[in-house]
Amino acid sequence: VLSLPFGLLAPFAIWSASRSLRRAPSSSAWIGLLAGITGGVFAVGGIVFWLFLS
Amino acid sequence: MRRTIARAVAVVVVVLIAAFTYPGAILVSIGVHLTPATRSTAFPVAPAGLEWLHVEHPPGMTPFIADSEGRRVLLHGAIPAGLIDFWSGTDFSVTNPAPYYPIDPAAYDGKCPANSSVIATPPLCQDDIKRMAALGFNSVRLPMSWSLLEPERGKLSKQYLDRVAQVVSWARDAGMYVILDMHQNAFSRYVGRSAQPPLPGGAAISLRYYTGAPAWATITDGLPSEWYNGTRELNPAAFEATTNFWYNRAGIQDEYIATVAHVMQRFKDDSTVAGISVYNEPQPGWDLSPGFEDLLLFPFYRRVVDAITGVRDGLPCPTRVFMPAPCGYPDLGVHDTRHLVFLDSGWLREVTDFPTHLGLPVSSYPNLVLGIHAYTHVFTIEHLIDAKTAPDKASYPWGGYDQTYYWGEREARAIGAALFVTEFGNDPYYDPLELRAQLREQEIHLTGFAFWTWMENCGSGGGTPYGVFDGIDCKTNAPEPSSGCIRPERAAMLARVYPEASSDPNLTYSYDPSTGYFTLRANARFGDPATVVMVPSGVSGSITVGGAVAGEPAIAQSGEGRTVTVYPAGGVFTVNVAAAPVAPFRC
Repeated sequence: VLSLPFGLLAPFAIWSASRSLRRAPSSSAWIGLLAGITGGVFAVGGIVFWLFLS
Repeated sequence: MRRTIARAVAVVVVVLIAAFTYPGAILVSIGVHLTPATRSTAFPVAPAGLEWLHVEHPPGMTPFIADSEGRRVLLHGAIPAGLIDFWSGTDFSVTNPAPYYPIDPAAYDGKCPANSSVIATPPLCQDDIKRMAALGFNSVRLPMSWSLLEPERGKLSKQYLDRVAQVVSWARDAGMYVILDMHQNAFSRYVGRSAQPPLPGGAAISLRYYTGAPAWATITDGLPSEWYNGTRELNPAAFEATTNFWYNRAGIQDEYIATVAHVMQRFKDDSTVAGISVYNEPQPGWDLSPGFEDLLLFPFYRRVVDAITGVRDGLPCPTRVFMPAPCGYPDLGVHDTRHLVFLDSGWLREVTDFPTHLGLPVSSYPNLVLGIHAYTHVFTIEHLIDAKTAPDKASYPWGGYDQTYYWGEREARAIGAALFVTEFGNDPYYDPLELRAQLREQEIHLTGFAFWTWMENCGSGGGTPYGVFDGIDCKTNAPEPSSGCIRPERAAMLARVYPEASSDPNLTYSYDPSTGYFTLRANARFGDPATVVMVPSGVSGSITVGGAVAGEPAIAQSGEGRTVTVYPAGGVFTVNVAAAPVAPFRC
């Protein structure tokens, strides 16, 4: 969830959630994965948007 | 069942956090970028008033400040600090002295209160504005203090606004624009001063250079007010009070926005006021970049613009509570769509000369100006760490003086704003290096400037005053009539030959104050508006034009110098001022 305000944490969130899901496929780690992917997509997308505009 | 509910709640929490942080902020920025702006440029000029300014947005270029004919306008000016609510006195244990200089405009009608070393700067009087005009300045950035605008919560001072209006009228008489500036430094002079011995690494402070918020809006939560590394801003109490402002504790941000709206309501129809600087030198408090700027500072700017212009960007949100990044702000009924709105970059950007956040479009209001403070080698990080290394030996910024301008242009383009140097200045000892380099960069990047500061009495921390004038004898507290003699070399560098307006937004020019030589090269079509060059009175070289110009230039002589007007005939043309001795400034 911290990857949403701090996009740079997204890779760690994705890695951590993916590892949890591999170990316990029925756990709630997919929510963390969702947050991590969302944070990562918007971090990368925001930077691309900035580069496009600037 | 319980597991399903827990998962649903977790999803809702994730979605809410996403909406309130970067994903939501970026989506709102995309929306702002796609919102067509209303770009009115043909405003009637009030009798005896100056032309309205606006921001042009040509495709593929950094937006720029322009006049009603679409010409790029360069604003040159200084920052007189006489209206700032500085702490004053000789007893540092007194934390809430009354304002030192009179607020009543009558105290300045044809007279000027005495100066004194017990306060950081001299009073601002009409003679100061005349002397600025004599340097060829066409603008003045006028700092105001929230603590004097709204000394009691909800009660705005008409008298202080009258005082501001008095300075605006002096500027109008001198043909100069005013950039109003909601000034602050380290949040407020009411952050207090710890009575206890400082914590390890800390030191007892002087409140002399703390300015900004009124006492009722300064919520320090009892944190110690002491500074670290000798830096005014590194003060736990100032950090806490600043953070409380960004999070709108007790609705203080709402009060601030209402105050800005009140100021602009007063000057809504006054074209002498070029615009308003919403918040000077914003510090992050306890927040970290880039989140501070992207999720707190620039969304706050959007809310101010929403409030005073009525553009309604951002999402409707409740006020008086913390307003997340995507939030807009209600229209406060001012509907001021003719003034520039200056948005200062964050403090961390100012000490790094580097963009410290994404800086995406913040508002669909077209007349935005990104304000940078160009303090390379003065307050940049390498100097804060090691103040002894000379600027020409410094290891940072890697891009030299150009770095802040290069990135500033990119940041301004991304936001959709013009670029302007809302502050720069330095120890006069380094003028041949720092001041010269900054002024040259401003020519290269076609940015106007506001020089910090017009006059200063004694200098911060026992240092040299940064003013255009020497300062005063600080060994005495006796009243003194002025702020010392003008610094001739500094004045000669600032009193520049420059294009006040040109129909070629990509013109190039340079001025050498040591020889008085000026050259300008521009390209314009036949029938385009004229290029106007200001030649201050001390510059005596002969003026020549070449290339595609229609007839001889019109040269108007005034007390401020010569104003050269050149009409293009279609194609490249040049304007030159020959090298000739520049008349020295005298005390």
